Amino acid sequence: MADAVLRTRALSKTYFGKVDTPVLHDVSIEIARGGFTALIGPSGSGKSTLLNCLGLLDPPTAGEIEFDGRTIRERNVNELAAFRNGNVGFIFQFHYLLPEFSALENVLLPCWIGGGRPAAERRREALRIMERIGVGAFRDKAVYELSGGQQQRVAIARALVNRPKVIFADEPTGNLDRESGQAVLGLMAELNRESNITLVMVTHDREVALQADHIYELVDGRICRYFDVGRSGREAAAREIEERSCTIKQ
Amino acid sequence: MKKPANRYEWMIALRFLLRGRGQTLLIVLGVAVGVAVQFFLSALISGLQVSLIDNTIGSAPHLLVLPADRLPAGAAGVLDDAARRDSGRVLIDELTEIQSWQTYVDDLRRDRRVLRAAPVANGQGFIERGGAVIAVTVKGLVAPDGLDIYRIRAKTVAGAPELASDTALLGQRIAERLTLAVGDKFVLRNDRGGRLVLRVGAVFDLGAAAGNDLLAVPMDQVRSFFAIGGVSAVEAQVRDVFAAEDIARGFGRQYARVKLESWQERNRQLLTGLRSQSTSSVTIQFFVIVSISLAIASVLGIAAVQKQRQLGILKAMGTTDRSASRIFVIQGLLLGGVGSLLGLGLGLLMGWGFVAGTGAAFGLEVSARTLLTPIVLALAAAVIASTIPARKAAALSPIEVIRNG
Repeated sequence: MADAVLRTRALSKTYFGKVDTPVLHDVSIEIARGGFTALIGPSGSGKSTLLNCLGLLDPPTAGEIEFDGRTIRERNVNELAAFRNGNVGFIFQFHYLLPEFSALENVLLPCWIGGGRPAAERRREALRIMERIGVGAFRDKAVYELSGGQQQRVAIARALVNRPKVIFADEPTGNLDRESGQAVLGLMAELNRESNITLVMVTHDREVALQADHIYELVDGRICRYFDVGRSGREAAAREIEERSCTIKQ
Repeated sequence: MKKPANRYEWMIALRFLLRGRGQTLLIVLGVAVGVAVQFFLSALISGLQVSLIDNTIGSAPHLLVLPADRLPAGAAGVLDDAARRDSGRVLIDELTEIQSWQTYVDDLRRDRRVLRAAPVANGQGFIERGGAVIAVTVKGLVAPDGLDIYRIRAKTVAGAPELASDTALLGQRIAERLTLAVGDKFVLRNDRGGRLVLRVGAVFDLGAAAGNDLLAVPMDQVRSFFAIGGVSAVEAQVRDVFAAEDIARGFGRQYARVKLESWQERNRQLLTGLRSQSTSSVTIQFFVIVSISLAIASVLGIAAVQKQRQLGILKAMGTTDRSASRIFVIQGLLLGGVGSLLGLGLGLLMGWGFVAGTGAAFGLEVSARTLLTPIVLALAAAVIASTIPARKAAALSPIEVIRNG
């Protein structure tokens, strides 16, 4: 891939405990800059773990991650936190908004954490994003007064406010009804097209995955298949996923 | 490294506290009651002590230079340096009197810790009036320091408190017993049959019973009337009454032919009383602080668990471990700060109520110490108590929260 914003080399992840649980094995992938990449696979295949490793939330046990040309080696957690603040945005299945703050304040939180920009400018930017996403009217509402779809939109605005390079979304519509889910997905796809922000999304929904430009399918913690949807075409990818289940030859 | 933008930490801390309003209110009230009790107790006990000390030594010398009740060093043929610092004269008379008193007065007055110093000549005499004869302690004083040590000028209730020959300043009890008024004349006798006619110049009321049995006249008149060659003692008051013992010890080391006595040595029982009062007050304060700390630690400990989700997402968005722990220390500070301010108000109210309600003869001692100590202690306790949840917050891994929903 010519322009990859993220690369992994032989990434492995094991959760150590009473019983060690290996989750990812030798994962080497590339995420195209400005594209929409979907991570699919059955439950327990390691999609979310891969996403969290890519988003620098969960340190891999082995292997390397290159983020925007910089190799992320053993950094301390505070440096990683500061790096996340300026470079990545997260959208989770549960919105994870802070009930102590209004909708607008929740959107502003990443700016407050990062500091730097003047307060008035941040506020203008946050309001602009909220208007664009259709939650401008709820800015002063407490987040628990909003519907599930509205809450997830506020979470999207929060992920966007620091103009990150990559947004990581883990089943962002998993907790929404079909209609709100569609609207949220449509919005994310639109934002991805118009802002050149890279979008990496974990989903188990085939329909959602087929809207992506790239699809990685994971099985048992390994990359099983890759589709360059732009090149092979949406239908071919759909047929392939539909007709043949992916198995890894050991 | 980038400077931490910690305004948001304050905001988050405040919102966390406001979100659990009931819990916050209870703990703030807990801190307030603790601080109020602390302030009230220490102000009350300090007030009581100030008043006790003032009653005991407010109108009395804090330290005395007295004739040594041993043979002067020079008499035994050993004249050391310290002895030479005295006038150099070695007289056997100094066993009951101080001859070279001027040196001691000068030395004491030069010391910055000493407020005033004066020689005094004491005698025991009798006053005859009508058929009555009463014994009095006659003090020969020198103005102004001599008068001020006994606060005679400030406590004069009638007449002009001036020392002049053939004029006596009278304690109120004597004046009342002998129905003497300003301007009246009476006869003072000594044990050798000497007679002196004195006119009442002023009457003073020192409050304490002993003080009101005094008769003050000019020192030289006492010396000649009682045939005292030197003086009976040199008396002094010091700025910090509790330093009197140290000062006395310091001067005592310099002089060989006199001994120094502080008010502390003369009032051991009072001192022991004061000390046990202070100890009990400190003990109570200590346990109040312990209970404040435990309360804050438990509330913030619960909050750290309750807010795990929020902390996890804040960390995912870039909050550092240090920031996360600061959020809890700030919560401790806010609880401690608001609680102490409220507590001071409550404590002042309690104190005012106590003084007004019981008609106590002493006031509360409201000083920087009694005001600030409970606040500083409560804040310190709050910060220390918050370190446990703060550490928990720092150790929380965002991925734990996110993986476990």
